[in-house]
Amino acid sequence: MAVIKSSNKMQIVVNKGRLLIGTAYTHLFGGQLIFASKSKRMAAVSSSLQALTAAALTLPGLMPLSANAAEEEASFLYGYYEEGSRNLSGVKSRFNPIAVNSLLGSSTIKLADRIKFAFNYAQDTWSGATPIATAPLAFGGNGDNGQGHLVGGATPYLVNNNVSFDRQLNPLSNSGAKNNQLVHTISSASPETRNQGDFKLGYEWDEAALDVGGGISEENDYHSQFGNMAGRWDLNHKLTQINLSQSYTNSNTTATLDHDATPYIWETSTGFNAFNRSNHDYQLTKSGGNTFLTGDRQDWRTALGLTQVVNESALVEAGFGFSRGTGYMANPYKAVELAYIAPGQTGNVLTGQTVGLLEERPSERNQWIENLRYVQHIKGLDAAVHFDYSFSHDDWGVNAHTFQSDWVQPIGSGWAITPKIRYYSQSAANFYTPYLVTIQSPTFIYGANGQIIGKQFDASKLPTYYSSDPRLSGYGALSGGITLSKQLVAGIRLEASAEYYTHAGSLKLGGGGEGAYADYNSYLVNGVLNVDLSSFSTAVRRHNSMSMMSSDDVEEDHSAHSMSANHSNHGNHGAHAPAGVMFSHMLEKPNDFMVGVRYMRDTQSGNILQGSTNVSDLTLVNNACGGNSKCYDTVRSMNMNMIMLDLMYAPTDWLTLMLMPQFVDMNMSSRALTGAPTPTFNDQMLIDHHTLHEHTTGGVGDTGMYAMFKLFEESGHHIHATLGMSAPTGSVDIKFRDTHGIDVGFQHYGMQLGSGTWDFKPSLTYSGNMNRYSWGAQLSGTKRLQNSNASGYALGDIFQSTAWGSYGLLEWLSTSIRGVYTVQGAISGAFNGTYNPLGPIDYTSNYGGRYWDVGFGVNAFVSTGTLQGNNLSFEWLQPVHTDVNGFQLPRSGALAATWSYVF
Amino acid sequence: MKIPQALWLVVSLVLVLSVSGCSSVAPWQRGVLAKSQMALDIYPVQSTFKSHIYNSREAVTGNSSAGGGGCGCN
Repeated sequence: MAVIKSSNKMQIVVNKGRLLIGTAYTHLFGGQLIFASKSKRMAAVSSSLQALTAAALTLPGLMPLSANAAEEEASFLYGYYEEGSRNLSGVKSRFNPIAVNSLLGSSTIKLADRIKFAFNYAQDTWSGATPIATAPLAFGGNGDNGQGHLVGGATPYLVNNNVSFDRQLNPLSNSGAKNNQLVHTISSASPETRNQGDFKLGYEWDEAALDVGGGISEENDYHSQFGNMAGRWDLNHKLTQINLSQSYTNSNTTATLDHDATPYIWETSTGFNAFNRSNHDYQLTKSGGNTFLTGDRQDWRTALGLTQVVNESALVEAGFGFSRGTGYMANPYKAVELAYIAPGQTGNVLTGQTVGLLEERPSERNQWIENLRYVQHIKGLDAAVHFDYSFSHDDWGVNAHTFQSDWVQPIGSGWAITPKIRYYSQSAANFYTPYLVTIQSPTFIYGANGQIIGKQFDASKLPTYYSSDPRLSGYGALSGGITLSKQLVAGIRLEASAEYYTHAGSLKLGGGGEGAYADYNSYLVNGVLNVDLSSFSTAVRRHNSMSMMSSDDVEEDHSAHSMSANHSNHGNHGAHAPAGVMFSHMLEKPNDFMVGVRYMRDTQSGNILQGSTNVSDLTLVNNACGGNSKCYDTVRSMNMNMIMLDLMYAPTDWLTLMLMPQFVDMNMSSRALTGAPTPTFNDQMLIDHHTLHEHTTGGVGDTGMYAMFKLFEESGHHIHATLGMSAPTGSVDIKFRDTHGIDVGFQHYGMQLGSGTWDFKPSLTYSGNMNRYSWGAQLSGTKRLQNSNASGYALGDIFQSTAWGSYGLLEWLSTSIRGVYTVQGAISGAFNGTYNPLGPIDYTSNYGGRYWDVGFGVNAFVSTGTLQGNNLSFEWLQPVHTDVNGFQLPRSGALAATWSYVF
Repeated sequence: MKIPQALWLVVSLVLVLSVSGCSSVAPWQRGVLAKSQMALDIYPVQSTFKSHIYNSREAVTGNSSAGGGGCGCN
């Protein structure tokens, strides 16, 4: 390590080729809080030195994939995507189009000087209706009965429609007029959540780097695991960079085919009920009343990239990628509408019938992608303009061009504004077809009772491959958006972005795109919180290196010294409280910031309780449904995951403000009750809908806003009060998709994402510590401020008391034990829309209760080194005694994990 | 290999070799290149989210970098 003193007393510490001081001074230039007392002097630092230190940041990797990507960082993104309604030729769908709630968390830390570890977590919940097939309007596939009625559910209008054509196979409407107008058939899906976790381990040499990574993505119907390896090589005095990467993905589809749709979807050659075909890349099986489609696929992808500095203000990247996929490449939820016309008809009008076929795609796809990026600095404006073009082509016949341009304009005070435009155009896959017509009569397959259970078609009279997925059609898409970013205090950056997207056949490059019936618009918005962890650790190293500085340097660096000293004290007042305790500590110094993530998982399973006693199914049937005889099923298990962001700021030493956005996802499974009465046909359909499927919901939960007031503080004792509100940002109107044309209505109370009411949430917290021991106690409550939410009900009020003790095993590691007593009232009011109660969970009296738990926790607090300021805690809450209101599933336990970082 | 790929490779190589041959940017001249707005991917976390959305609505799966991941194939 060497110390270089520059003429204006700035110090640069060189360590293995990295200029450590660079990051700290980068933040100085922003006039940041940490070095507030020196901001005036620092403002005078020459721009050339700024440029030099900034340039130093890029060493040893001249051009990391992102210069924004800090050595160590944590990022959190929330994103929302929503499509506009489709044009169904005058028929109004009462279902909302596709909407996606996305959550991304990522962190990169240095395990050692040259070793980095990155972990990413992604979650997205998809809900809403989407096209599953396309057909001429004359087929009635959009659900129109000629009176413009509402589309009535998931049940696709694909089958047994009588259709007619002229001799040229143009579809004829009821009046006999030729009508080639196409329209989608829309089907709605209940919400579904995808979770993905992946990691990357990287080693860096002076002029090269190697990353090895892998991950898993899980959905109900799609499991994917992948591994990848990437290398970087710097050449030509780091003016040239070569990147090479390789990945392998293995995916398994296990799709539950819609029990509404399966009777209408047929296999081409064998008829529906004789579905197992050995020469196919998927299998259909029946189990427990469901039809499953299973298939596997493998994807290999190789990419080679070359980045080159063109001059002092421009760089260019050229890349080439090849990917190869094999196996089941189709979408199990898309159907192709087939009209079959009996041969030998005479006259000018041919009549036929329709069925929906499972789509057939090639079991192999080879795709080549070439891309070119150019980045140019605009000197007068200090802006950067980015051009990105890529061309992709594959052996399915899809040629796609993507052009994107971004203008990044810094506008002072840490703000930057980035307008963006993107154009995408693709040609159709060579097996894409909106619908099929065949002249043949199928062979009917009859069941034991003489009913038709299958229709076998002569596959030789159909194309080998066919798909009506609009994503394989020819179209163009134009989108424009804007991103605002703001660099806050040292190392914290906020980004907000919005983009509007127009998909239209007429936008296809060179014309000839799909008809306007398939056009739609969509928008996406997202917000990002980015924390540069290395900015702080660099400042610490800077502090540690001060012993090498002269006395006047040290004197001028008092602010840095005191900042570092503060950090080692952070959290003494309750930061070591168990992970499950909220509002456990305040920030100590004015202008302190804290960023944290809190994860909680609640699980419920087992025999249903009445109060504290296990009860039989028959007891439930007779007593648990509020006197209603329709007591058919009950919950088997229920899980809730909650991710909360902890954002804290202390304007003074006696007040800490806190903002807590939440992201929630839940899943539950049900079972039929033994001894239940015989259901009606419709009720049986509803029961099957519950017992045959796991239900999931997910999205933004309620948002908490709190103020914490210091009441008392003296040698090892601290008391603070928290007053706050929870805003009803979580949905309380999530509904099931329809089944068999029945409007199922609201999902259960416990599956909604928020309370739907404004809630008052006060608490009082005491904490104390002596030597290795610390302890605390808290009283907290939730009072609903409204009698009912928009869906007609209000959750019960909550009161909780807890007390804990903690012992420090090591300087950085402590364990805790805690007792908790919680009481919650039952739900008041009831759903004010369609709702089909089928079991105890659907009755408001079966909510709330009294709960006793014991918590066991560990807490790690890093007070020195590169990870200083980080706090990681885990706690397991074990139920000890439960006394529920009415009849409810017992709790199995809860896990709480928190990570926080104080600035 | 089809013609467009070969063409692209040649164009890319010629471009890179020609600029690398004549460019000589000393370390102290790289201040502008190190600015955050000059990063190849300015907002990488947003890019991950947006790519996932694009990939699930368009026929092209993934860009030229090798990744991996789920389907989201509604």
